[in-house]
Amino acid sequence: MNFKTDKIILAVFLIISAALAFLPSFVKSEYLLRLIAVVILWIGLAGCWNMMSGYTGYIDFGPVVYFGIGSYVVAIAMTKYGIPFFPSLALAGLVSAITAFFIGIPTLRLKGAYFAIATFAFAEAMKQITLEFDRTFSVSFFQGSDGITLPISGYDNTFFFYCIFPVTFLVILAHYFIEHSKFGYGLKAIKEAETAAEISGVNTTLIKLRAYVTSAFFLGLFGAIEAYWITYITPSDVFNVQKTVQMVIMTLLGGMGTFLGPVVGAAFLTLISEALGTRFVEYYLIMIGAIIIVAILIMPSGIIGTLKIRKKLRFI
Amino acid sequence: MDTVLAQAVINGLLLGGVYTAYSAGFSLIFGVMGVVNLAHGELIMLGAFTSYWLFDFFKLDPYLSAPFAMVFLFIFGYLVQKHIINRVIGQPHIMSYILTFGLHLMVANIAIKMWTQDFRTITTSYSGANAAILGLNIPYARLITFIVALLVTWGLWFFLMKTETGRAIRATAQDKEVARLMGVDIRNIYAITFGLGAAITGLSGAVMSPFVIISPEMGLEYTIIAFCVVVLGGMGYMPGALVGGLVLGVAQSLAATYLNAGASVAITFIVLFVMLVIRPAGILGKGSVA
Repeated sequence: MNFKTDKIILAVFLIISAALAFLPSFVKSEYLLRLIAVVILWIGLAGCWNMMSGYTGYIDFGPVVYFGIGSYVVAIAMTKYGIPFFPSLALAGLVSAITAFFIGIPTLRLKGAYFAIATFAFAEAMKQITLEFDRTFSVSFFQGSDGITLPISGYDNTFFFYCIFPVTFLVILAHYFIEHSKFGYGLKAIKEAETAAEISGVNTTLIKLRAYVTSAFFLGLFGAIEAYWITYITPSDVFNVQKTVQMVIMTLLGGMGTFLGPVVGAAFLTLISEALGTRFVEYYLIMIGAIIIVAILIMPSGIIGTLKIRKKLRFI
Repeated sequence: MDTVLAQAVINGLLLGGVYTAYSAGFSLIFGVMGVVNLAHGELIMLGAFTSYWLFDFFKLDPYLSAPFAMVFLFIFGYLVQKHIINRVIGQPHIMSYILTFGLHLMVANIAIKMWTQDFRTITTSYSGANAAILGLNIPYARLITFIVALLVTWGLWFFLMKTETGRAIRATAQDKEVARLMGVDIRNIYAITFGLGAAITGLSGAVMSPFVIISPEMGLEYTIIAFCVVVLGGMGYMPGALVGGLVLGVAQSLAATYLNAGASVAITFIVLFVMLVIRPAGILGKGSVA
């Protein structure tokens, strides 16, 4: 697996990442820095979704649940048990991954729309449970719709940029290794023809589970970081189905199952939302709807996907 | 049987009737085309608004405006399928989810633009009127919806089984290539199916309008319930919507009575999740399994 163009693409990616790592020292505007951090956060989230659903074609409609679990783990660990941020962050990733393991085993057997609906149902169930747990059992743990206020960090956007950036970097870098490993071929084989892959000796269930758990781990980290950044979380916010939809649409716009798809899609959609959202508040969602419909109809493989087909590239 | 329990069951059955009425179209569209229509709730919203405006301008009774809602939504659904969704048939499922989600965003937000985000209700002379039988309350409006749900399920079954178009729809659902070879115009059948699904959904939207809150943003939560109902009954199995609707209605009503309203929503999703994992073909086991 020694392809020259692949190495070049990777080198360009690494150089740009290295340059981005120094960004906070040059960007003086807090607004701009925050916007960049948000774009990078969304690139990471879309990447997590792409890792599982983009490569395998199993449409996960509930990735937000691991984001939400991450947020809640960090919030509860910090406020109820006084654990510092970084250990709580690790705990958040771990709890998300373990949950994904136990949820993945039964749900990954389902196919097509059934998998999509099951993951969606799990995410909504978790949202309702965190909302209603305290009231139903008369305790104070998740604090329901009142939400949890985290300790004010006192850190500025630069700190959070440096929290988000490495995680996103790892997520995208993982895509490179996925595409250049037996594991990645296994994932792609599941998308093309699952039964045939199984007959050829690919342990499809294990591979799907690995991708699902990995993606959940990173989603948990992102959820935890964002919770500490915003300092106030409620179930309706962190388990919001809108987040799932955004991850899906970004990946789709960029190109499912591609290396740079989530990067391009997330950057494109976040920036366009920022541009349209501030100027045309009233028409913003209508336009997003129209963009989605047009993109699906004229460019079903996404920006990077279309490029990949046109230029006959094996990897981008 | 104590009165509280009896009332909870009655409420649940009536609620289930409402669920059935607006979920049958979702099941039809999925069963025939494999499209999970995320803009389903918007069809209900448009049906409810048709009845609202006819009531507002012409003082037309919501039940009399139901046929108008049906015709309007048939045309709407037919055109949407013919010009938009037909283009992604045969592509991976995700395309239809995202496409219909785009439609959901557009329709809901254009509706907000046109009619504002206000909550509206239709107040008729019989709003809030109950029949009291053996100490149990039965709201008339919900009872009528329950009857409409039965009629819709029966009518749809009759149409699919006994008419030429119905046969063509069933043939397309079973094997679209063979149906095409037999001279069925697939694209037209798809458009008719979506139109039909939209029409019965619009009808239920109009029939529900006397007792629900009407707003452009009402759609999404109805889409989610329709999801649950159809999975419980078995995806693509028409009478399943009735079974799924009634089971879900009673389960929610019991949870709301004995726990709290929020817990009943949690139970809905837990039931949905467990059901998919252990019995994806629905309670009766007659749904299609991918």
